[in-house]
Amino acid sequence: MATDQQTGTWYGTGEAVSRVRGQAFKTLCLSATLLALLSVFVLLLYVANDAFQPLSADTGWLLVTIGTVVVPSLAAVGYYYTRDTRAGETATIALGLPIVSLLLTGGVFITFEHVVSVYQWLSILVSLAVAGGIVYAHSRVRTEADLERLVVVVAVPALALWFIPKLILSLPMLPTQSIALLGSFVVPVAVVVGLFVRRQRENDRDGVIAAVLTLVGAAAGFGVAPVVGITPFVWMLLVTVTAVPVSLYVESVIRRGAGVSGLAFPLIVVGGIVASAVLTDTLGFAGPTPWLDWGFLTNVPSRTPEDAGFYPPLVGSVMMLLIIIISAFPVGVGAALYLEEYAPQRGRWGRLVDLIEVNIGNLAGVPSVVYGVLGLALFIRAGGLGSGTALVGGFTVGLLILPIVIISSQEAISAVPDSMRQASYGMGATKWQTTRNVVLPEALPGIMTGNILAMGRAIGETAPLLIIGAPAVVRIAPNSFTNKFSAMPRQIYTWSGEIDAAFRHGVLAAGVVTLLVVLLLMNGAAILIRNKYQRRE
Amino acid sequence: MTQDSMTNPDSRTDSQSTDLEGSNQTSDPLVDSSIDTGQSGGSGGETRTVIESRDLDVFYDETQALQSVDIEIPAEKVTAIIGPSGCGKSTFLRCINRMNDLVDAARIEGALNFEGKNVYDDDVDPVVLRRKIGMVFQSPNPFPKSIYDNVAYGLNVQGIEGDYDAIVEKALRRAALWDEVKDQLDSSGLDLSGGQQQRLCIARAIAPDPDVLLMDEPASALDPVATSKIEDLIEELSEEYTVVIVTHNMQQAARISDKTAVFLTGGELAEFDNTDKIFENPESQRVEDYITGKFG
Repeated sequence: MATDQQTGTWYGTGEAVSRVRGQAFKTLCLSATLLALLSVFVLLLYVANDAFQPLSADTGWLLVTIGTVVVPSLAAVGYYYTRDTRAGETATIALGLPIVSLLLTGGVFITFEHVVSVYQWLSILVSLAVAGGIVYAHSRVRTEADLERLVVVVAVPALALWFIPKLILSLPMLPTQSIALLGSFVVPVAVVVGLFVRRQRENDRDGVIAAVLTLVGAAAGFGVAPVVGITPFVWMLLVTVTAVPVSLYVESVIRRGAGVSGLAFPLIVVGGIVASAVLTDTLGFAGPTPWLDWGFLTNVPSRTPEDAGFYPPLVGSVMMLLIIIISAFPVGVGAALYLEEYAPQRGRWGRLVDLIEVNIGNLAGVPSVVYGVLGLALFIRAGGLGSGTALVGGFTVGLLILPIVIISSQEAISAVPDSMRQASYGMGATKWQTTRNVVLPEALPGIMTGNILAMGRAIGETAPLLIIGAPAVVRIAPNSFTNKFSAMPRQIYTWSGEIDAAFRHGVLAAGVVTLLVVLLLMNGAAILIRNKYQRRE
Repeated sequence: MTQDSMTNPDSRTDSQSTDLEGSNQTSDPLVDSSIDTGQSGGSGGETRTVIESRDLDVFYDETQALQSVDIEIPAEKVTAIIGPSGCGKSTFLRCINRMNDLVDAARIEGALNFEGKNVYDDDVDPVVLRRKIGMVFQSPNPFPKSIYDNVAYGLNVQGIEGDYDAIVEKALRRAALWDEVKDQLDSSGLDLSGGQQQRLCIARAIAPDPDVLLMDEPASALDPVATSKIEDLIEELSEEYTVVIVTHNMQQAARISDKTAVFLTGGELAEFDNTDKIFENPESQRVEDYITGKFG
């Protein structure tokens, strides 16, 4: 009543309510956001400009490319955005999947070329198969002997991995590399594809067809690959790692029948690029001379900027990541599982566990250069491993990301609702059964996301590599974990100190863009995994 | 009820036939590691007691949640536990299958006997105990697995052998869920509605054929239609199972239970009697006040 008389109405914006401070605060927050985004964006643009040098091209080339590639692509994007969002999703994946698969193919190629030879891989597979057979046979024959089985499960694979590869590698007659790849890589992939399709379609026949098609497609390489001009080896990798996932996706989109028009997007982009190449060639326009090109990725470092390549550091980074995956991840996830599921929560031991957890958090904040010194002391001085090798690099950077792996895995595990554990215990499950059947499967996407992000951190670390003695320049890609190696950031650091400006601007920018692309892809994969599994909730 | 009605041929293992032939069990059912030893025969009749607590005290750190509770829960009946919030009804339920073991702060004194054996004796394995006593929780908590795998979970972890398809179908039928999900057994249990999820949890609990079914406010998160389905189900299940249900809905207790225990604030058992008696003519004035809604 009183307000009525004072202001006439009780509603509306009165003098009593002040929003000035709120508005000012909101504006400040907005400008902080914009400033952060803008500075990062400008930096990336600057680096990308240095790496690709688009302005070094003729104006005609730029105009033709805009006309054939940029405009049609943007038009397609606009269409998807306004008319058919489902097709937009398809378009994103249809363009992204081949790119990611191709990069993965490159990774697998590097792995087989430098890390594990096909014969080693074959012998490892054979040993694991033999070990699995023995473990299975043991579980059938001695159904009750739990402790004995534990020993068998641990000892048999170890022994098999120790003896059988030596036996196989010392055989006088080995199949050719391509045949070995067919047996040890294509066949398992074909089986996995078959099982995947069978599960998706709930149809045995489709699964068999998919597996056989994979196998036949890969084996066709023996006849077709030389005609195309590549080795059967590369052909098989392309078929299994690139063609199979892409065709599976295309088939699933067509069968689903929604968003099919999105499949046209990669065709528009690729068609545009081809058309642009043909047109600029006939019209005689010169393209740009980017620092980042195929040669940069496949050459070795050189004294002349134009010939400088990034291949050995790329291989080195892949090797380092492999070491991290097999050393830091099991340790980190195991520690996280213990701390979350088993460690005492109360009493004196509970306080100790709390102390440990706090200090794991502190370890995550220790500067990377300190980890480098730790790695130097621990692995090289005390452990007697060679300085500057991929093994030491992987171990050192693995130590560095270990706290991150533990913390992110812990978060993923503690995010599993307690009601699920209760449900499992209520059904008469043991702790192990609950962890194995409920907690781990539920936490796995989160654990994987955290681990991939930690890998992103690992791949960019420079300081520890400097301290453990990774060489400034490696001219031959390492072929074993005990060779001297260099990783991508280490090589970038070397280029940053060169006198020739072309190194410091052009070549360095190309290296940075390569590193960033790898990082973005890894983070993108982490986000995809997270979204895929969050959607179910 | 006699032993025959407790027998579920589908989920019993071979060891069951010897149980049927043998008279009273000589070995203790809880320390026996075999999966399902069946009821100890003998007494039978209306008043056979399955679960009995003697002077049961429960503490969470220094807080006392239950005060010297004495109760005798009859076989193959529905026993409801009602009372105001925080009176210890859920605590008592969780004592029966030792789910309180999972709470570090919990401390239990006194005896709680299941089939004549104190479940807090040192030689009782809580995992074996929980395999004989199924539990349904307050909010539906199916695993993020397929409907089939949810129901088969207990069979898997308990190592029960047999025709899983048949057992799963039978459990889903008894949980009145089969007709709704029979075409989507491979889809996730989380895709179901809340009421369906709770019936799935009931199916999951009865699939390994426990002796007792504990239910902790199973309908409190559900709408009236789903609630009435669950209530019908409980009444059906009580023909074969001993059901202990915690509820804060007094009408629900009156509708479905044979016996009712009223816990009052402070964790004391105020009264335990036939449901009719509790709701029509309770002995204690405080219980009458609670029943008639003067407090709680």
